[in-house]
Amino acid sequence: MRNLISIADLTNDEIEEIFSLADGADKLRTDRSASGQIMATLFYEPSTRTRLSFESAMQRLGGSVISCSDMKASSTAKGETIADTAKVVSSYADVLVVRHNWDGAVQAMAEHAEVPVINAGDGSHEHPTQTLCDLYTLRREKGDLKGLTVVVCGDLKNGRTIHSLVYALARFGANVVTLAATGMELPQYVIDRLEREYDYAMGPVASDDLSAVVTETDALYLTPKQPHQLALFTQVDKVIQARLNTMASGLRYDAFYMTRKQKERMKDGSAANSYPTIGPDFLNEKRFQNTVVMHPLPRVDELSPEVDKDWRGIYFKQAAYGVPVRMALLKFLFDQRSVTPSASSKETGAYRDSLSSGSKCRNLNCVTLKESVSTQRRMELYFADEIGVLISRCGYCDHRFKVELIGHVKSKRYCAYDIAFAETVRAWMRHGELAVFDSIKEAEELGYEPYKTGPQRVLMEEAEISAALADVSEQILRDCQDMDRLTIVGVRSVGSRLAQRIAGEIETRLKRKPELGEIEIYGSGNELKRIPPADPDAGPLNLKDREVILVDDVIFTGRTVKSALSIIFRSGRPKSVRLAVLIDRGHREIPVKPNYVGKNIPSSENERVRVRLHELEQGEQDQAVIYSIVNPIDDVETLARNEERAALS
Amino acid sequence: MAEQTQILLEQADLGRTIGRMAHEIIEKTGSPGDLVLIGIRSRGVHLARRLARKIEDIAKLAPPVGVVDVTPYRDDRTQEEARAAVGAFEAQVAVDEKTVVLIDDVIYRGRTIRAAMEAVERLGQPKRILVAVLIDRGARELPIRADIIGKNFAAQDGQRVNVLLEESDGVDRVTLAHWQRRGGD
Repeated sequence: MRNLISIADLTNDEIEEIFSLADGADKLRTDRSASGQIMATLFYEPSTRTRLSFESAMQRLGGSVISCSDMKASSTAKGETIADTAKVVSSYADVLVVRHNWDGAVQAMAEHAEVPVINAGDGSHEHPTQTLCDLYTLRREKGDLKGLTVVVCGDLKNGRTIHSLVYALARFGANVVTLAATGMELPQYVIDRLEREYDYAMGPVASDDLSAVVTETDALYLTPKQPHQLALFTQVDKVIQARLNTMASGLRYDAFYMTRKQKERMKDGSAANSYPTIGPDFLNEKRFQNTVVMHPLPRVDELSPEVDKDWRGIYFKQAAYGVPVRMALLKFLFDQRSVTPSASSKETGAYRDSLSSGSKCRNLNCVTLKESVSTQRRMELYFADEIGVLISRCGYCDHRFKVELIGHVKSKRYCAYDIAFAETVRAWMRHGELAVFDSIKEAEELGYEPYKTGPQRVLMEEAEISAALADVSEQILRDCQDMDRLTIVGVRSVGSRLAQRIAGEIETRLKRKPELGEIEIYGSGNELKRIPPADPDAGPLNLKDREVILVDDVIFTGRTVKSALSIIFRSGRPKSVRLAVLIDRGHREIPVKPNYVGKNIPSSENERVRVRLHELEQGEQDQAVIYSIVNPIDDVETLARNEERAALS
Repeated sequence: MAEQTQILLEQADLGRTIGRMAHEIIEKTGSPGDLVLIGIRSRGVHLARRLARKIEDIAKLAPPVGVVDVTPYRDDRTQEEARAAVGAFEAQVAVDEKTVVLIDDVIYRGRTIRAAMEAVERLGQPKRILVAVLIDRGARELPIRADIIGKNFAAQDGQRVNVLLEESDGVDRVTLAHWQRRGGD
């Protein structure tokens, strides 16, 4: 038996096979495929339908179920990691059904479980078994899925059911029209996946055709000031496109798939009013006479009661298929138990990240950020198109990010990525020599140097740095309200060294040592710890109610400080945080402001300011320097210009 | 209880100040097409809507307005409380590659803005985040700055700055009261 994490884990043929098992409901009723098997349901989020239908399906197949009524009140509350939970429960059951509020958490648990894991919804990522029920309902009502046009409405951003559903619809060749509530459009990573993996693109349909969905009836409520974004996604398929083009009276809509209006997300009246709803006007519209209305339930008030009585409102049927479809799925998986899963790697050709790369997922709800100990750092790199846009994709939550900084592992050089280097980067990928970074600071922390630098200018010499630090230390002491609460925290690695020096200054003045800590933003280790050698009896660093002085060498955009603040606040609520930097070079992108500055230095954006300390650079003196970064693309352009000039003369 | 109240801004001052802030937002952020305003509940939301209208008058382009409720992110709540609160955004806006201006009535210790930045980060990756406030009353506990400030007023610890707005209070006025502080910004 194997895992079911994403709808992509099943091929179209396998889905058809599951559906034909579900069709034979009578046969299923006497089936005992799960006899002697135990299912454990682990739900970290509330659920009624999914959980009950899984448990019912398992018992009807002759198996039994164990579960924990509230995972939040279980050992999780005592701090058990999801990895440990998965390992432990594996010895109690033969299959785990998991729902979790973090994106990618079920994947992480599957990696630690010794039995198969089925995803019953992870964060806003996927919900494959709901999709199976949706597809099955559609197929029962409309026959072949190929060529159907399905309008998905409402919250397309947070709805995990929507994400799994649109991938599946795309795979079966259905058209997808998106009708999002304001600010809840389909996320870019979902659109990217539609384009890249299923060859889908925005359809060639006149905007009138689409707006007809909303203008010809009042069924779908729209506020005139905030037009909903309508887009048709369709397969890049000549036959389908030709059909779309020749349809005189516009698209035929086979189904509307509504999602729940998440009231808790919008207490604000105007936002709630702009949520699409389906009412009696919709039912009276001729255009929609064969359009069925689906909804994953629970609903709020986005469907009016009239729809319940109409044959087109099929959401209760959809819910009723929950048990037979899940029975069919379980039978399918149990029957396959002895079969080793086919090597259907969906990311063939993609580069698997190695330790060389520093890039990490930026989706804050991703399991890799929420509980890094239960995951391995796994970003996959690929080219989005022929032009050479480089994308990194999180192996857990599927979020995708454009790569902007790359490095060469052997030469330890970094530069900005440009599509002109696509070929070189491909070669580096093949040889495992490519590194990817989220920021220049990260590249430098990992020991990479710029590809090429302009002439270097010294900003501060050793004596000036010492004087500045002494001055900053003096000011810190002046502002400090309670020495017993003072904690000096440096950002690794240069900031930590500066923090140690400031602590030294304070010690000489007061004859006592302030508490010292270190924040690690780049790297996989402990994000907040004491600076060694620390007193072994001191215990872990806790910043609750402390007067924290955050120390870094250079402040630029302010993003490092923002990350550091998040880490500090995760450790407890400090009484105050003040920021000390050796150099402020301007160009802020985040509204942070240092309280203590050694020196202000105007700089241009493509310059780098580096602080070199003798503790970190062997045999060197303390020095702050500035230089410009030359990117290879500038070299390429200069070369081209020179060649042009030579050709002209 | 309030011992005495003093008026910091009258209705006309408030109107002028908001007008000037709108100009400053356009000036500091460059292209209005990339601009997104996010109001912090509840008076920040009213201010954000007013600023959006002013910006529309000036630049002929109304920036989208998002609404954030930072209560689930505030650091003075317990982890359990924070976990129970679902979805901080009441009106979501797309922030990727945008210049986001966070708007609140008063900036004081800086904790509300820090919490709002955290909430914005959950929405996406803005190009830049700025802060616009009607009143900066100083005494920050975090290294957070306001980029666009209606009026600076260094209030004492026991004083309370009250921003009253037509939309919620029936009147436009900013007052200063000697108040027993009950914690929070």
